[in-house]
This record gives sequence, C-alpha cells and structure tokens, in this order.
Amino acid sequence: MRRGLGLSLIIAAGLAGGSRAPAAAQEPRLAGRLPDPVRVQVDALLDSARAAGLPTEPLVDRALEGASKRADGVRIVTAVRRLAGELGAARDALGLESSPAEVTAGASALRAGARAGDLHRLRVLRARQSVTVAAAVLADLVAVGVPPDTAAAAVIALARSADDATYLAFRRNVERDVALGASPVAALGVRLTATGGATAEYPGPRKP
Amino acid sequence: MRDGDRVVDRVVEMLKEPVRIDPVLDRRVMAELAQVPAPRRTTGIVALTGWLVRKRTIAVSPLGGLAAAAGIALAVLAGRAWVFPTAHHEPALTTTAAVSPGADTRAIQFVVLAPRASSVTLVGDFNDWDETATPMSRAVGNGLWSVTVPLAPGRYRYSFLVDGNRWEPDPEAPRALGDDFGRPNSVVTVGGS
Repeated sequence: MRRGLGLSLIIAAGLAGGSRAPAAAQEPRLAGRLPDPVRVQVDALLDSARAAGLPTEPLVDRALEGASKRADGVRIVTAVRRLAGELGAARDALGLESSPAEVTAGASALRAGARAGDLHRLRVLRARQSVTVAAAVLADLVAVGVPPDTAAAAVIALARSADDATYLAFRRNVERDVALGASPVAALGVRLTATGGATAEYPGPRKP
Repeated sequence: MRDGDRVVDRVVEMLKEPVRIDPVLDRRVMAELAQVPAPRRTTGIVALTGWLVRKRTIAVSPLGGLAAAAGIALAVLAGRAWVFPTAHHEPALTTTAAVSPGADTRAIQFVVLAPRASSVTLVGDFNDWDETATPMSRAVGNGLWSVTVPLAPGRYRYSFLVDGNRWEPDPEAPRALGDDFGRPNSVVTVGGS
C-alpha cells in the first residue's frame, strides 16, 4: 500500500510538474516529523532511490526513526544517504529481480560486514527461494559475535537445503549457546553440523 | 599335591553331590501356595497411588545431595525471577513468539518486563516509528508488558520506549548493527517459508 502511495505521488508530481523539471515528491509521512529543510533533503534522496529502482520504505523508516529519537537534521540525512548506498549495493549483488524485503535484508548483511560476493552467492544458491531470512540471519549472527566471513560461510552452507524456519532455528540455537558461554564460532560450527550444513561450503571459519 | 588342595577337592566333591529333599516338602509348599489369595487387579490410579506412598530407602552420596540441594535452590530462584518483578526499572526479560493468523503475516508478540514503568510503547519500522501508535499493555499483578503486532515476512528494527523518554532495546532479541542515532535497536525477522 505504501509503495502504491509512493507511485501515486510520483505520477502526481509528474502531472503537476508539466514541462517543468519535476520537484521532489513529498513523502506525506515525513510531514510534521522533520523540519522542512531536512524533509526536502530526505525527499530528494527518496526520489533518487526511487529512480534507481530501490525500495524507499527503509529510507522513510530510517528518517522517521531519527525524528523519533530527536536526532539532528544532519545526522538524519547522513543516515538515510548511507542506507541508500547499502540498499543499492545489496540490490546490485542480489539482482534487479530481488524483492524490497530481500534488498533490505541484504543491506543489513552488508552493514554487518558481509561482502557483496556473499550475497551474490546466496542469490545463486537460492535462485527460487527468498534470501530475506538468510541475509537477516547472517546479520544477526554477526551481532552475537560471529565474524562476518564465518557467518557468511555458514549461511551459504545452508542455502541449498534450509527453509526460513531452519535458518531461524539455527540462529536461535547459536544465540542460546553463546548466551550460555560458548564461543560464537564454536557454537556456529556445532549448530551448523547439527543442521546438516557442514559441507564443502563451510570448511571452517574463513580467514579474512 | 599339598594338604590344603586335597581338602578343597573334597569340599568340591561334596558340593557336587545332589541335595536330598524330603519328598513331602514339595507337597507341603504347594499346598501353602494354593492358600495365598491371588493378587487383585489394580487400576492405574490405585497403582500410581501405591507407588507414590510406598516407602523406599534412597541412598544419596554427599556430593549428590549437595547437587540436588543446589538444583532445588536454583529452581526456586528461577521461579521467583519469573513470578516476581525484578527491582530493575529497565526491561529485564523479553520473549517473542510467533503464531500464524494468515498466509502472509505472522502475529508477533512482544513482551518486556518493566515493573516500575508507567508506560511502555513499541516503536519500530512497522509503525513508522510512531511513539504513540503501539502502546503495550501491562499484565495485572506483575511488570510484564506485551503487545501483538501482525508482520509480513521481513526484517524489522524496533525498540521499546519506556515512560516516553527512555529507549531500550529488547534484551532477548538480536541487536541491530550499526546504529545511526546513538540508541541501539533490536531486530525481529519474520520468515515466510
């Protein structure tokens, strides 16, 4: 629904603009939440993202998060711009056909330290399945202390066989083991073996 | 062969001889067995009750006794931690559970323990980071706050806003990496397959 609204705004802006250079479409949810100068800059970033075929919802969310947390305008614009770059890199790695949810999760994985090549490999191995949860789990594993390359290798090792539920259970188990005192890498290795993912895809922790 | 060995051999030979039993003994034993009443069939509850009340002698090593005492103490403490609010004002315990209300969305329950809070709201990507959109309800008698939100498959960042002025991440959920605004968030991932 939000995407439909965004598309409508683009069309409306185009119609209203006529032969003039089209002004940036205004995201209605930003009204009243951001100071006007900040809102103008964020709207411009949203326009650029839209033109590049990137999902704009995460960008709006990031701006609104900044507004809720009373961040200053510069910080909000910087955060939105940074996220737009990550979304672009994720989309390039995952392909033009990737869904907005996949691109968003891919951007999270990149921020966590995964490489674009990891996302591309994930896409290739899961050509007919969503990579949303796989990429999200990659980021979550890094958050509990697994080195990014090791987390990426594990997630890729599960890519052919695991469904979303398996990925989520795998992540939960690793988190639980780490919370109980296991080292993140050891927990990951044990749980990966138990999940049936310890194949040639995961020869062990990767060296950076 | 020594004398001791010969004695042993004689004892062995004696032990090998068949034991002679009074032939009347067999008949007397069988007659007494016939007078013993057959055991009654008991129901499962009766049998269970009997098993429960039957006295037993249990042998426990000192180490085992200490371990059992420690286990009981741990269970009591864990029960207290769950039943009684902690003294912390900060959220101390959170669980997130998912059920399936529909094909495309999952109902995700967010729970946080904040005994001294007067209000807690759930704020995140799913509600435009609106501080008033998703207030959490406090369970009567304890400090558990909860709310259930339908979410489509995807990855969402969120935080709890306690008393309208303090942002707290979910201690039981993965932390979002690379916070942009100096206040850490948590993430929830909703699967689709």
